[in-house]
Amino acid sequence: MTDKNNKIPFNEDNYTHNINRNNERKLDRRGFMKTLVGAAGVFAVSSLPWGVLAAKELNGLGDKKYPKQKITDVKSLPIGDAVEFSFPGEHDSAILIRLSEEKYVAYQNACTHLRCPVFWKKDEGEMLCPCHHGKFDVETGAPTAGPPRRPLPEIYVKVENGSVYAVGVKRYEA
Amino acid sequence: MKRSYVSVALLLAVLFMNIIVTQFMVHQYFYENYTNTIVAAVINVILFPAAFLIYKKGVKIND
Repeated sequence: MTDKNNKIPFNEDNYTHNINRNNERKLDRRGFMKTLVGAAGVFAVSSLPWGVLAAKELNGLGDKKYPKQKITDVKSLPIGDAVEFSFPGEHDSAILIRLSEEKYVAYQNACTHLRCPVFWKKDEGEMLCPCHHGKFDVETGAPTAGPPRRPLPEIYVKVENGSVYAVGVKRYEA
Repeated sequence: MKRSYVSVALLLAVLFMNIIVTQFMVHQYFYENYTNTIVAAVINVILFPAAFLIYKKGVKIND
């Protein structure tokens, strides 16, 4: 009984033996050249977005523009001190640190681990997230200890007429 | 029927160029050399009509 069901009715590897394919699957010289031209077309089309993206980068369209915002006066911020502000939105808390007479750094101070606020430890010279003891390098914003693995987003600052302004956010690449 | 495989060889060369230029383009994009990226993209686009012309010629001669 089982033998009856397990039988191939005739000696063919499939059931399309009666379809005359008329050599349509045959790849001749011309068909091969057509394939090559098609492949060249695929390459051409697929390189278009790269060109567009590169042109966009060259024209600076990828950089977001924010209105510059006054953070604080130079006089009210002694060397080594920090002040909190928000930039670019009112809920994007940030911190400005004066490292020397001329050198200011600013970062968005939501920790890149779980978004706790990051504080400036003046006596230890590093930025600390108290939630899980994540630490960040004050010069670059790069994580140096603890759970965070990504740097803090940097904010560009400019000093003008005795005041410190936030002018933009550095493109975030992590 | 006499066949010529010159155009086939040319098309293979074009495809090889495509691969090299695409690789170059992607790498230059990530190295932020955007001018080189655009140059490579233009070469890649120009290679397609070139390939098409080679094909046309190859078909005409040997039919």
